[in-house]
Amino acid sequence: MPKSHYRFNPESLSFDKIRLGIWAMLLRGFAYFVGSVIIAAVYYLIFASFVDSPKDKALLREIDQLTLQYDIIHREMDNIDKVIGQLQETDDNLYRTIFEAEPIPQTLREGGTGGINKFKELEGYNNSNIVIETSKRLDNIRKKVYVQSKSFDELISLAKRKGDMLGAIPAIIPISNRDLIHIASGFGLRIHPIYKIIKFHAGMDFTAPTGTDVYVTGNGVVSDVESSKRGLGNHITIDHGFGYQSIYAHLDRINVRKGQKVSRGDVIGFVGSTGLSVAPHLHYEIKVNGVNVDPVNYFFNDLSAAEYEKMIEIASKTGQSFD
Amino acid sequence: MRKHKYFLDLNDLQYKQVRLSLEKKLLRVILWFAGTIAVTLFYTSVFHNLFGSPKEALLNQQIDNIRLQYRLADRNMNNSLKLINSLRMSDEMRYRPVLDMDSLPESYRNPGFGGVDRFADLDGYGTSYLMKSARMKIEEMKDMVSIQDKSFSTVKDKAAEWKIEMDHLPAISPVDPSFRLGEGYHFRPVHPVYGDSRMHYGQDIEVPYGTKVYATGDGKIVEAGRNNGGFGNVIMIDHGYGLESIYGHLSKLLVPVGMNVKRGDLIGLSGSTGASTGPHLHYQINKYGQPTPAINFFNNDISQDEFNEMIQAFESKSKFR
Repeated sequence: MPKSHYRFNPESLSFDKIRLGIWAMLLRGFAYFVGSVIIAAVYYLIFASFVDSPKDKALLREIDQLTLQYDIIHREMDNIDKVIGQLQETDDNLYRTIFEAEPIPQTLREGGTGGINKFKELEGYNNSNIVIETSKRLDNIRKKVYVQSKSFDELISLAKRKGDMLGAIPAIIPISNRDLIHIASGFGLRIHPIYKIIKFHAGMDFTAPTGTDVYVTGNGVVSDVESSKRGLGNHITIDHGFGYQSIYAHLDRINVRKGQKVSRGDVIGFVGSTGLSVAPHLHYEIKVNGVNVDPVNYFFNDLSAAEYEKMIEIASKTGQSFD
Repeated sequence: MRKHKYFLDLNDLQYKQVRLSLEKKLLRVILWFAGTIAVTLFYTSVFHNLFGSPKEALLNQQIDNIRLQYRLADRNMNNSLKLINSLRMSDEMRYRPVLDMDSLPESYRNPGFGGVDRFADLDGYGTSYLMKSARMKIEEMKDMVSIQDKSFSTVKDKAAEWKIEMDHLPAISPVDPSFRLGEGYHFRPVHPVYGDSRMHYGQDIEVPYGTKVYATGDGKIVEAGRNNGGFGNVIMIDHGYGLESIYGHLSKLLVPVGMNVKRGDLIGLSGSTGASTGPHLHYQINKYGQPTPAINFFNNDISQDEFNEMIQAFESKSKFR
């Protein structure tokens, strides 16, 4: 039996038994509980700040290691970026030395077509679909016009001719040039590599290693094959009909004979440096009715709109031709 | 005032104040401590079971933050990698083809890090992969930039050589291009002076007496004087790279033997000295000592005005040499 405790009551001068009501007991229990929680929290905080659990230790070690490695990576990256900066300068200098032109800005060079938002309104569509749709619509309009003015027989022969023409007109880049890195010099006034004066450059130069495939850019007939050590070196002239001719010069080897029929994409020869050329490259010319035109306008089958913009930009920037 | 507690002593039926001895007090304190610790342990285990350790959570969060930083670093690294690759493209697709250099073998470009695990000390963490892949990438990039650096320096050397070679090539017409070309490199049944049949090794250009003759490429004058072989007053320039150019039948020689000349330098005036029946220039190119058709070495694709412009440009450059 627990001992009862008494309290001295000075008013009645007697000892009263200490009796607790249910509420007081509950209050007391609650106070004990709160007290214990507070004490436990204090203990825990003191304990935790001095002692780490093995798991904590492992985590702390990991954090240390991560930080250390991060510092190393950071430092190394700084160094690497510095070296890359120097390399870019070297790259620019090499470009100036070899092409005698200001280097193409980094944004253009990094490949990819990011950043060019000129065609934002076309986003979300497949460009080729638009082109197809547009040309279809154009064809429809054309058809209507024709139908109104010509007989069906005439129309059919015209349509056929149109198809032939589309196949014949030069429309691709004569070498594989996915990233457009192979353009060395455009059409127009350029620094002549030997004369060092500004001279009219009748074609477009593509630098590529000796032996790179050269493709014919439209259907046609080989009208001239010349093996020469002069001027254009070994070169091929293709007659596409409809007034169009294309010339592929300084070839290392030639794959076709005079009079041979060729279709777009056939390999007709290989890049070289024959004739008066200072480096292996393909000199590509297009003539319309005997007059040289800018080949950059004849690559529409190969390029997306953005790539096309890029190609024009590069071709217009180059300083020196290679023949 | 502290209220005292009393108890009823059943032995003498008196109320006595509750007093505790020192030992009892001590015992009580110890018990109290033990109790609180036990309670703490109990609470902690319940709490950990329910919520996990707050410290651990804190540490894990720190690790997550670092992870994020690693991800940002990785993005930077990828950017740098892109830059390195663009340099490599420039190197392989632009410069090497122009300079007719082979591209670096793939094995040289990708030496590989296989075999020994260089970062074994990073094993055993939850983030081992993160750290190792980042370090590997760094190492890879270090190798890439050092290879690119070496590659560029060879390209640079080659480009300088190429420029020099291009300047040395006898690649222009020795006289104003509007003059008519005469006989070229061919077998001549009847020599106009000697009357016998022999090879004609040069390219004749029909120029009037006293026409300015220019060096067609950089080089050194190795011969300047009368020649008994029929060339009359002749100049020979050694261009290096196995090429020599010869200018025959000159009326006047304007350069001494041993002089270094640049393309476009005036070296003499044309004439009709030696075995010649009329004023003309005999222009010959020897490759490794053997005559070769000189016509292959220049293009008459340049107008008189352009030619003069070119010569003037070369002259003005020469002044600052």
